[in-house]
Amino acid sequence: MKYLHLVLRSLFRSRRRTLLTVAFLAVSVFLVATLQSILATLDGFANNPNAANRVAVRHKVSLTNLIPMRYQDWIRQQPEVEATMAIQWFGGIYQDPRNFFANFAAEPEPIVRIFREEIVEYTESEFKDFLRDRNGCIVGKSLADKFGWKVGDVVTLQGTIFPMNPRLTVRGTWKSKRQADEQVLYFHFKLLEEGVPRIAGRVGSFWVRAKNADDVPRLIERIDRHFSDALEPTQSETENAFQLNFLKMMGNIAAIIHSITGAVLAALLVVTANTMAMAIRERTTEVAVFRAMGFTSLQVLGILMAEGILLSLMGGVGGIALAWLGAGAIQQGIGSVIPWLADFAIPTETLLFCLHASMGLGLLSTLVPAWRAVRRPIIEGLRAL
Amino acid sequence: MNGEAIIRCEGIAKSYFRDSLEIPVLQGLDLEIPRGGYFALMGPSGSGKTTLLNLIAGIDRPTGGSLEVCGYRLNDLDDDELAGWRAIHVGFIFQNYNLVPVLNAFENVELPLLLQPLSRAQRRARVLEALALVNLEDRMWNFPRQLSGGQEQRVAIARAIVSDPRILVADEPTGALDAKNAEEVMALLERLNQDLGKTILLVTHDPKAAHHARVQIHLEKGVLDRTVEVNR
Amino acid sequence: MELLFLPLLPYLAWLLWTALRHPIPLSYNWRSLWQRKVGTLSTAGAIAVVVAIFVVVLSLAQGISSAFVSSGRADQVVVLRPNARVELNSSLERDRARILKSSPLVAWDSLGPLASAECLTVKLLELADGSGSTNVLFRGLEPAGVRMRSQVRLVEGRWFRPNLPELVLPLKMKDRFRDIALGRTFTFNGLNWTVVGLFDAGSSAFDSEVWTDVETLMHAHRRISYNAMLVRLQAPEKIPVFVKAIEDDKRLKLEGKPEAAYFAQQTEAGKPIQILGQMITVILTVGAIFAAMNTMFAAVASRTPEIGTLRALGFRRVEILASFQWEALMLCALGGVAGAAMALSFNGIRTGTTNFETFSDVGFAFTVTPALMLEGFGFSLLMGVLGGFPPAWRASRIPVTDAMKGG
Repeated sequence: MKYLHLVLRSLFRSRRRTLLTVAFLAVSVFLVATLQSILATLDGFANNPNAANRVAVRHKVSLTNLIPMRYQDWIRQQPEVEATMAIQWFGGIYQDPRNFFANFAAEPEPIVRIFREEIVEYTESEFKDFLRDRNGCIVGKSLADKFGWKVGDVVTLQGTIFPMNPRLTVRGTWKSKRQADEQVLYFHFKLLEEGVPRIAGRVGSFWVRAKNADDVPRLIERIDRHFSDALEPTQSETENAFQLNFLKMMGNIAAIIHSITGAVLAALLVVTANTMAMAIRERTTEVAVFRAMGFTSLQVLGILMAEGILLSLMGGVGGIALAWLGAGAIQQGIGSVIPWLADFAIPTETLLFCLHASMGLGLLSTLVPAWRAVRRPIIEGLRAL
Repeated sequence: MNGEAIIRCEGIAKSYFRDSLEIPVLQGLDLEIPRGGYFALMGPSGSGKTTLLNLIAGIDRPTGGSLEVCGYRLNDLDDDELAGWRAIHVGFIFQNYNLVPVLNAFENVELPLLLQPLSRAQRRARVLEALALVNLEDRMWNFPRQLSGGQEQRVAIARAIVSDPRILVADEPTGALDAKNAEEVMALLERLNQDLGKTILLVTHDPKAAHHARVQIHLEKGVLDRTVEVNR
Repeated sequence: MELLFLPLLPYLAWLLWTALRHPIPLSYNWRSLWQRKVGTLSTAGAIAVVVAIFVVVLSLAQGISSAFVSSGRADQVVVLRPNARVELNSSLERDRARILKSSPLVAWDSLGPLASAECLTVKLLELADGSGSTNVLFRGLEPAGVRMRSQVRLVEGRWFRPNLPELVLPLKMKDRFRDIALGRTFTFNGLNWTVVGLFDAGSSAFDSEVWTDVETLMHAHRRISYNAMLVRLQAPEKIPVFVKAIEDDKRLKLEGKPEAAYFAQQTEAGKPIQILGQMITVILTVGAIFAAMNTMFAAVASRTPEIGTLRALGFRRVEILASFQWEALMLCALGGVAGAAMALSFNGIRTGTTNFETFSDVGFAFTVTPALMLEGFGFSLLMGVLGGFPPAWRASRIPVTDAMKGG
């Protein structure tokens, strides 16, 4: 700590150079932090601890093939099962395709039971109204707020997958712990069945809730084995695995983001190393004077390294601060277009990654020029001007 | 000349190598300097006077001979031991002062003390003492660029003596100063020698500066040419 | 993005003029850059990375859109159920298909009317890298359907025969999927389907589809109606007439979309990547400007006496300004060229994403076009102008006397 003021003052010896370098670092770390956070947010959907009890059952061939409704009767009787629900992605458009949000036709009674971790706060009477009204729907609070829907309003969805345009009355809203869980609309599966006779008796998937999370693997195995000999076999997986498949379908986003991160960090390393080399080169004499006064090579190296690490840490912290400010903007801006990002935030791991990366960057970029500076004979350093 | 020798050089040799070509600078030089002495090393460019100074100050290593300073055989110390030795026994004064531009006078003088196990208050007391000696207490919060050349060199001298070394080495300390400031700096060095008993080794071109020393050592082509005692 | 350059145009023009008049030769700048090799190369390297990221990410979006854009023909119409948007969600009964085929506007070739009623379904196929499986579009066609896709060429084997479970696959799927070879069989819906041919669809969207006979596919799925129909008209100008006719005909009530427009609408699948690419580029460009500024400030500082000498020799402030601005431009252009070249090495690598409208995989290649590379290079120049101006301005403001003193 004795040397802190020395390190700090040296850091700002060339104020412009330091500020420009910090700005460059901050902007780049901002980008890395944001990209990594997007990835982490997406991954969060496939690592949802609330989903531990839930299993998705669908047609083995693909999600677009429907499975017979009667399969549900057998599943419901399994001892591990707490509740089951037939659910169908409707993919309806509200006014404009850009107003994208998730809307499902589902059996209304079990919704609250299956998704009790998500549907946290709701009014009992509103949900009873929903159960009674075949043309009713329930929506998440923040989704309702986004379009200004109130209980009693009529929402018309335009079917894209199914040839029907249901006119739905909002019967209730709910609140969740996460914003993303409020970006959903559910309406009666019966309404879909009536409007689209060709799907009668079939549905896209069953959502099954196990009484105990430990039973899930056994349950999955048993369901698939039971239907394996049927004409239309099933594919069961945990809700998290189901979500993961969805993420994978978008392509290798993780690879893209990781490669960009790598490339940006490499560029940062080169630029920071250049700055530190400049900063150290112009102090050749000073380094020699320090060593003549009795500072050991290691002590001088330590002071120089501290300076480099501090420089890149300032950039890193600046970048994280920018990302933190930006996170709010992303939630409001992109989050309303891409519902997955409604809960966008910078996770602690990303934060730590950025801090460590910038520290490592400072270390690596300063090591070579600093090492060369302290290895230089003192008398040569004193001669240099 | 009385008193034991604080610096003892026996057959000191130093060569530099440039593209495998050996350039001898010092060729078997014997020299003894007593405690409390004030010696000026003189000679034309390339005579090896700065090299000798650097060797005695422990910032360069001889290629031959034996070198004993302040009771340590410098040949036997490794780089880190040598650094520790310098921190205690030698104070440096340079032609270009070499103050750290981002530190003020006080902090510059404090630098060598950071290497010693002293509390903040102890350091402060020693720094103030050193600055009082060079008569610059009123400028201690100024940065080097706010000081005149003479003042800068006095701060540098305060930095050299603050850790109370027994030897001061000065390489052309007046080289960048005008006559008046040079005279002041030389008077200060003389005081340090007489009042505090510092052993001073001075490299200079300037006969006026050399006149302040008690003994002038003239080097010629890497060997001792003659030793002249200054009579005042 | 191109608009960013407009306000800078007069400045660039002025710079060009000064270079042509060459008061201070550009070789002076070039040698100065070379003298500070490490600084120059590290800054140019950082700029190269930024430009490369920009070009590569946008080449993904480019790849997706060129896959779709090259799929449609100007004289063909996709007939769908109203509001269906994509063929997969549409349905078309047999009697309606018959009526459509008999329309007098439909073009004929020697084998019959150029109209193909088609059936689509999505199936999971296993990926070659073992990371799982993804949804692939299976298309059942009538023989006319194959003839109507003129960009599709058979490269191995033969076409499927009517009423047999035979598949013809795109050769390009080989990179990403397992079991893409002649003679392999796939089992689904109680039938064993044999691969009898491989085709090449010229990098269009059909390079992500598996083709088979329409009746066999419908039979296997117990479907009684088709999904959609592709119709070729006698001339592109007939499209509005035909679309109006099928919409108004009480027996049909169908929607017709020009095939080109139909595929263009699906390029939306590349939108997220495009937005991502632009966001990244803007951020990184700002960063690179700082890096370039830093290097140029250092260059100015270390050449203060030189600048003083130039001024003393009689060069004016504007000429010093232009000279340093040119040096910054050279530095950044060096990075720009290197970055564009780096990006080029990605060209042609195939990858895929899911078109969420059809819920199936679209294979596409990183498509680094000259236009994209030029755009990336343009960005490096932008960095040079913005990052180079402040240091150049500073250089031009150095007083002669100061400059002579410094060192």
